[in-house]
Amino acid sequence: MSAPVLYVGIRALSEPAARWALLFDERLARLLWNTTALAAAVGVVAGALGVSLAWLVNRTDLPGRRTLRWLLALPFAIPPYVGAMAYVIVFGPRGWVSRAWGSTPIDMYSFAGVAFVLSVFTFPYIYLVVGSAFGRLSRSHEDAARSLGLGRWAILRRITIPMLRPAIGAGLVLVVLYVLSDFGAVALLRYSTFTTAIYYQMGGFDTGAAAILSTVLIGVTLLVLGAESLSRRRSRFYEGTGASGSSRRVELGWARWPAVAYVCTVFAVSALVPLAVLGYWAWQGVFLTGLDARFPEFALNTLQAAGIAATAAMVLAVPVVYLRSRHPSRPSWAIERLALSGYALPGVIVALGVIFFSLRLAPAIYGTMLMVATAYIIRFLPQALQSAAASLASVSPRIDEAARVAGLSPVAVMGRVISRLIMPGVLAGGALVFVSAAKELPATLLLRPAGFDTLSVRVWVEASEGAYHLAAPPALVMVLLSLVPLKLMLDRFKEPS
Amino acid sequence: MKLKVLAAASLSLLAITAAGCSPAPAPESSAPPAEPGELVVYTSRKEDFVAPLLEKFTADTGIEVEALYADDAVVNRLKEEVGSPQADVIIGNDAGALEYLRLQDVLAPVGEIEGIDSIGSAYRAADGSWFGLSARTRGLIYNKGLIGEADVPTTIWDLTDPKYKGMFAITRGGNGSMIAHVSALRAEWGDERTEEWIRKAKDNAGAITNGHGDIRKAVGAGEFAFGLVNNYYYHQQLREPTDNNVGFIYLDQAEGEMGAVVNAAGVGFVAGGPNLESARAFAAWVLLPENQREFSNASLEVPLNPEVEAPEGTAAIDSYRVHGLPLSRLGEVWEDTRSLIERAGLDLELK
Repeated sequence: MSAPVLYVGIRALSEPAARWALLFDERLARLLWNTTALAAAVGVVAGALGVSLAWLVNRTDLPGRRTLRWLLALPFAIPPYVGAMAYVIVFGPRGWVSRAWGSTPIDMYSFAGVAFVLSVFTFPYIYLVVGSAFGRLSRSHEDAARSLGLGRWAILRRITIPMLRPAIGAGLVLVVLYVLSDFGAVALLRYSTFTTAIYYQMGGFDTGAAAILSTVLIGVTLLVLGAESLSRRRSRFYEGTGASGSSRRVELGWARWPAVAYVCTVFAVSALVPLAVLGYWAWQGVFLTGLDARFPEFALNTLQAAGIAATAAMVLAVPVVYLRSRHPSRPSWAIERLALSGYALPGVIVALGVIFFSLRLAPAIYGTMLMVATAYIIRFLPQALQSAAASLASVSPRIDEAARVAGLSPVAVMGRVISRLIMPGVLAGGALVFVSAAKELPATLLLRPAGFDTLSVRVWVEASEGAYHLAAPPALVMVLLSLVPLKLMLDRFKEPS
Repeated sequence: MKLKVLAAASLSLLAITAAGCSPAPAPESSAPPAEPGELVVYTSRKEDFVAPLLEKFTADTGIEVEALYADDAVVNRLKEEVGSPQADVIIGNDAGALEYLRLQDVLAPVGEIEGIDSIGSAYRAADGSWFGLSARTRGLIYNKGLIGEADVPTTIWDLTDPKYKGMFAITRGGNGSMIAHVSALRAEWGDERTEEWIRKAKDNAGAITNGHGDIRKAVGAGEFAFGLVNNYYYHQQLREPTDNNVGFIYLDQAEGEMGAVVNAAGVGFVAGGPNLESARAFAAWVLLPENQREFSNASLEVPLNPEVEAPEGTAAIDSYRVHGLPLSRLGEVWEDTRSLIERAGLDLELK
């Protein structure tokens, strides 16, 4: 799985030192600054939004919190490039607002515009992770603090937030990794980060430079992952199973209405407005100008590539997860690590690797849609693994033993007994892979063979051309598809009650 | 036991590969067998411009077309694919890129092409690996509501004049038309003066955009008085329902001046492409006068062949003075021009 990525590194290292030096001088400092500044800004804004919203709906007497809890997860279903398109339609230089009032409050094609869009569509990562941590958090610590005479804010500051730190950290890492890998939103808003630079570098004549930039970006990604596991190791504490849900919610008092206004504003900005814009243009597209005649073909291509990826990921996930859990050893650990590494890899790098790899070692798949499917598997296999592993955790090894005693071979145990027991988890993982693959943009753009456009490619092409009536219908399909993982996510993070 | 499990894992991998292969008829060998009657086209031109042409080709000849619309990325993709070419034909936006590909042995002639003489020799490769079909002439689109025709600059050097500070827009340095334009300026002025022009014009410009579409829309909407574009963007803007009060100036037209810089969109042939016969058929077909017209029509470009009728309202290629640089000269300086542009401080990509 990681072979394509190794190829990128090899290609980069085989570039002459002078090219590295030139890139360092001219581009790298700027790209590093652009990328890290964006990741930091989005991390701060999305973090503030995610934590505050999670606290409001989980820990206070906010009116309407039951409905708001799932409404606030809705932006998770809007791919940021679709969100970016919606906000260009609203706030762009020739968008609705500037047509109506002659000027816009925010320049979408600026740092602020990109940071705004990415924050608004990534905060659900933090909101969901922290919200679930609130659910699991034992109240006994807070109760103890209260009985010792600490005030409401002191408890929040000295007990609750420190205990949430691992969850906040985990959510932030997801957001930062997302920002590092995002191509569509960043490119549509004409900002420049490593991913767009790599993409356009390949658009120029310069694959060598693309490989070099990719290697640096992989380094940055590894740094983020390393920092996360370091901080996780340092702050580890265990929660008892003690009193949860028993203690009182924080009473907001007069602050409840401003709080409701705040929550509703976030919901409007992150879900209502983009969905309304999409709905409007999809309506225009479908009923006034007519749907693109090739729409069924695009949908079929998406179905085919994402379907192959999802099937392969499910079939691959079972042995990998089984090996890891039943036969923990260095090789099985290494196999899982390798598979997980794809998760953090931006699509442009995976695409670059698949190109190098298939041209030299697997020319038979070069120029076919299997290249696209391969990139999907590399990027999204971890989702299938995690889902299958979660299911397998609840299957006792005793069952294996019983099956072995009954005379089944180890392969048959895995293939006929275990895989059936963990099927729900495997299928859920497959669904996640399918949706992620259907939404995938950069690798699809770079790898698709001639005549093989997918729905995500069409959203990108038409949105870049400003043909929103053609971009909106496939974009809406993306959103509807994304409701599937959202549902799975909400089930996983459901408040235990 | 562990071995067995590993064997199971690899077996399942094999099964996937097989399952993956069966629905899509993946080629068995590295050289996909050419299905007769197919043509694979890569193009950096916009889909709206190329799709009608290809549909007509299929209707006329029965040859099915698979097209990849991938902006400038097709150039690099063709380069990467040299070992196992996937495409037969590239429809490019920029003669410089086509010649660059020829110099890299990515393009090769497909033999004698009937009708090739209808394209002037300045607009095609000497060996017939590629030929231009439509002109993309550089000039200034201006907003008639903001500036009178007499006040619009008449030479390209005028863009450095401080009196136009902030009034106009140009594209980023990596735009194909911009690169070709700068290459022509280098041939005319030499590197030092060209660098000076880039530096001053960039500082003088009110905006640096990603592409020309942004410029025509911005000038049409009155955000800038004028902008440096290719001529067909002016014709496109004229046909907009709103924001269409625009005019166009061909630059450096006076006696002794360099003339307007012309680039060409055209067709190139991929060396070792899978469907040579289809590529040949396409070459002959696209050179028929009615198809030369079709090639330029959708984008409102002007045919390079003056015999072919130009889109309504556009100026024929022989009605203004053009800079005489053969387009094949653009290829050899291509990379060099990019670094010169970067050195002069005009970013290749927007940052």
